[in-house]
Amino acid sequence: MKASPPVTTALLQGTLDVLILKVLKLEPLHGLAISRRIAQVTGGTFQVKPGSLFPALHRMEEAGWLNSNWGESENSRRAKFYRLTKAGQFQLKEETDQWTRISAAMASALETA
Amino acid sequence: MPLWHWLKTLARNLARKQTVEDDLNAEIRSYEQMLVDERVRAGADPSAARHEALLELGGAAQIQEGVRDVRLGATLQAVGTELRQSLRGLRRNPGLTTLGIVMLALGMGASTVVFSIFYAALVQPLPFRDAGRVVELTETRQERGINQASFTEANFWDVRAQNHSFEEIGAYHYDEANLTGRGPAEKVTASFVSAGFFRALGVSPVLGRDFSYDEGGAGSADRVVILGHRFWKTRLGGDPNILGETLRLNDKACTVVGVLPPGEPWINDQLYVPFAYRANADRGSWEFGVVGRLARGVTAEAARSDLQGIAASLARAYPKDDKGIGFHMDPSSTWVASDNTRRALWVLLGAVTFLLLIACLNIANLLLARGMARQREIAVRTALGAGRARLVRFVMMESLLLSGFGAAFGLGLAYTALRAIQALAISGIPRLADASLNPSVLGFAALIALLTGVLSGLAPALQAPARHIAAALRDRDRQTGSRGQGRLRTVLVTGEVALSFLLLVGAGLLIRSFTQLTSVNPGFQTENRLLFSVSLPNFYSRNGAGKQFLDRLFERLSTVPEVVAAGAVSHRPVEGGDPGMAIDSSSGEQGAARLAAPWAGWRFVTPGYFRAVGLRLIRGRTFDENDKPIWGEPGQPAPLRRVVISERLAKRIFPNVDPVGKHAVLWKGQGNLDAEVIGVMADSRERGLGSSASFTVYLPYGPNVLPGEFVVHTRGNPLALMPTVRSIVASLDSNLPVADVRSFEEVLQRSVAPQRFNAILLGIFSGLALLLATTGLYGVLSYSMSRRTSEIGLRVALGANSRSILGMAIGQGMRPALMGIALGAVGAWWLSRYFATLLFGVKPFDILTYAAVAALLLATALLACYLPGRRAMRVDPAVALRIE
Repeated sequence: MKASPPVTTALLQGTLDVLILKVLKLEPLHGLAISRRIAQVTGGTFQVKPGSLFPALHRMEEAGWLNSNWGESENSRRAKFYRLTKAGQFQLKEETDQWTRISAAMASALETA
Repeated sequence: MPLWHWLKTLARNLARKQTVEDDLNAEIRSYEQMLVDERVRAGADPSAARHEALLELGGAAQIQEGVRDVRLGATLQAVGTELRQSLRGLRRNPGLTTLGIVMLALGMGASTVVFSIFYAALVQPLPFRDAGRVVELTETRQERGINQASFTEANFWDVRAQNHSFEEIGAYHYDEANLTGRGPAEKVTASFVSAGFFRALGVSPVLGRDFSYDEGGAGSADRVVILGHRFWKTRLGGDPNILGETLRLNDKACTVVGVLPPGEPWINDQLYVPFAYRANADRGSWEFGVVGRLARGVTAEAARSDLQGIAASLARAYPKDDKGIGFHMDPSSTWVASDNTRRALWVLLGAVTFLLLIACLNIANLLLARGMARQREIAVRTALGAGRARLVRFVMMESLLLSGFGAAFGLGLAYTALRAIQALAISGIPRLADASLNPSVLGFAALIALLTGVLSGLAPALQAPARHIAAALRDRDRQTGSRGQGRLRTVLVTGEVALSFLLLVGAGLLIRSFTQLTSVNPGFQTENRLLFSVSLPNFYSRNGAGKQFLDRLFERLSTVPEVVAAGAVSHRPVEGGDPGMAIDSSSGEQGAARLAAPWAGWRFVTPGYFRAVGLRLIRGRTFDENDKPIWGEPGQPAPLRRVVISERLAKRIFPNVDPVGKHAVLWKGQGNLDAEVIGVMADSRERGLGSSASFTVYLPYGPNVLPGEFVVHTRGNPLALMPTVRSIVASLDSNLPVADVRSFEEVLQRSVAPQRFNAILLGIFSGLALLLATTGLYGVLSYSMSRRTSEIGLRVALGANSRSILGMAIGQGMRPALMGIALGAVGAWWLSRYFATLLFGVKPFDILTYAAVAALLLATALLACYLPGRRAMRVDPAVALRIE
């Protein structure tokens, strides 16, 4: 992530949001688990560093898409878990639609070109 | 719900900051712990696991900062904190803070004053409804070279009746009247206007009504008057019940029917009386200003061609008076300021902009210098996670605070200065009295404060983020500050010197042209001359009463021991108006070769006038009591007309011959009066010092042509004679007001007041600029010398003598000064073309001025370099080397 050229930052930020929403749709997760799950679902393409993850989580929480509370991790550590709110689910649907449209458009553009 | 959520979050972030931070901290710790767990589970030993975990995590501080930056209200909070920090920083550096605020206050005060004057004169809209449709009309006689002349009364009524383009056309004729019955007799302006005049302008009385179209005619029994706003306010105390009261004007009772709103031009006279159409109106005498209001949808072009058609038909109908007549139309936007005034105000505005820019550069310089000293602090902030944007904001905040304080003090200064300038009541700056710190001006001040803050903070802010944190943290003291910063500061100082050069050249040129202007020989003598005016009402021209009055007045004056000579003229020089006529020699053969008869101003004078005003007779004789006025008494045969003409005019129409005894044609093409030239008078600058010597024709006064402007040559202070003059006039007729009392010198001074104002203002601005640039130069050099203390110590230890050290210091300091002077000279040369029309007797590229300015700048720069240089010279090598 960090090594990406700055030109793509805006795009990647949007990507990060939708990925976080996506992985939280299945179950509430803590920060590290979110990071690992994203790496997993994207086949290792996105390695989310805490420096990007934390601001994103807090921003999304303030936007009302997520809420959080402290709980216990799988290894009995105290950890903060994030879960999707109603607004977050709506947002995920919006963004998924948008991404589908964009990726379809990009795919067709790149094929025909 | 979202709003509620938003507010809740914001409140939490702002109010329970510590809890929020603790929570975040705990979250990061837990993340870190889980990372370690993960590694350990993968088989790493605990200490390696911790190390790897920390690497992956990155800096906890940076993460916290990143989260803080996205938090709601983050900017607000940060700005609040930074504001407090900046204020503390400014308080810690009272010297720098005071200096900065003073510089900015001066710069912004000056800008605000100039802008408020500029705004009132050029930007503020005219006080007329829909002013875009209002135009001024003038007559022309292109074939005689007359591009703009007033209207004649008859032509005005004809254009008004025949046009198809105007909603209304109104005419204005300046006049004065004696107001009696309210305190001592007083001369007031009581101009004649046609009934539609105010409607054409688009002005409605604030009290009462406008004139009706039947008022002012010969048949109407009631005399009515409309009051100017200022006259109503000051002279009548703003009496709301003034309507219906009577004022005695020239001994005739007039009923007040309305009060005008305030404003300029056209509506700022004291009183207005109506005049109506009359069939026998004069077609030969150009006396009326005419304004028109274009009908809706009529373009200026259409109106012009309409007027052209009217001109053609007038020329056919009245070949004697209207041969070659045309009309000229000007939009109302040209009314307030003449081209030169406009230009002068632009120059002043440009000058304050430069001054403000210099102040900005200086502040930037100071902040840069301090920024270097603060390198460590900034490095620490960076290490603690402050991002670039935040650092820039932090540095910017200081300069914005400085400019904010500067603006506040500047406004105070501006208020005082504007009051002082208005108290001087400089004639020639339009609507000066209206200038105020109105919302537009305040908006301008706020804007420049912001711009100044950003501009002066820009360089330091961009320099702020430390590139080499480690190096900056290691460095112990003054050795910080890269070469680049030093160079930047040199560039800033170069800019300051260059801008100062521009201002100094501007000021120098204006001062030079002002001294040229005031050293011009006006032709007449102004020393110990008293001017006053007494206008004799119409009945004085009957039965020789007026001539009798003048005779007795001069007789009484001649018995006063302080009086050397006394005389009277119809139009006082310099400020008295300049009616003219076409004149030529009556022998056609010389005139035939010439294109047009010259246009000459005419004055009628009493025989004593020339001596009183100090004009020298060159040839022939002056008037005596036997010379009769050129206009004969009704029913009498035409008199033998005699005139005196000015030297330049004599040379023009009687080249190579003695003009005395020759005959000339007066009002050529209009009245064609034949007159004998009996004398030639020295030239004088009747239209003021800035104009060339006038062509003048002097005509003798008489019982029906009574001059009202008096000139008395006195021994000693002319104004001291006034009580005597007043009592003499009052003893002859207590209803006659004595007005416009001035010494001739004052008249002359007033006529060049705008030029003096510009020169003084630009002088002050350039003085400040010089001061600022010198401080800047001094600051940069002394800083750089103190940085090089150890180097200098080493040089001294190695045997450099103090002379060479001084030379080195001065050499380094003078480089930006010389560069600045060179750049400034080029800039001044380039800008001076816009300046040319403001100058008198000086070329825009005046070598003397440029050289003097360069010398002045060099001298002050040397001084500014010498002080730090001397300090460097005295560096003790032992002490200097120990500093390391």
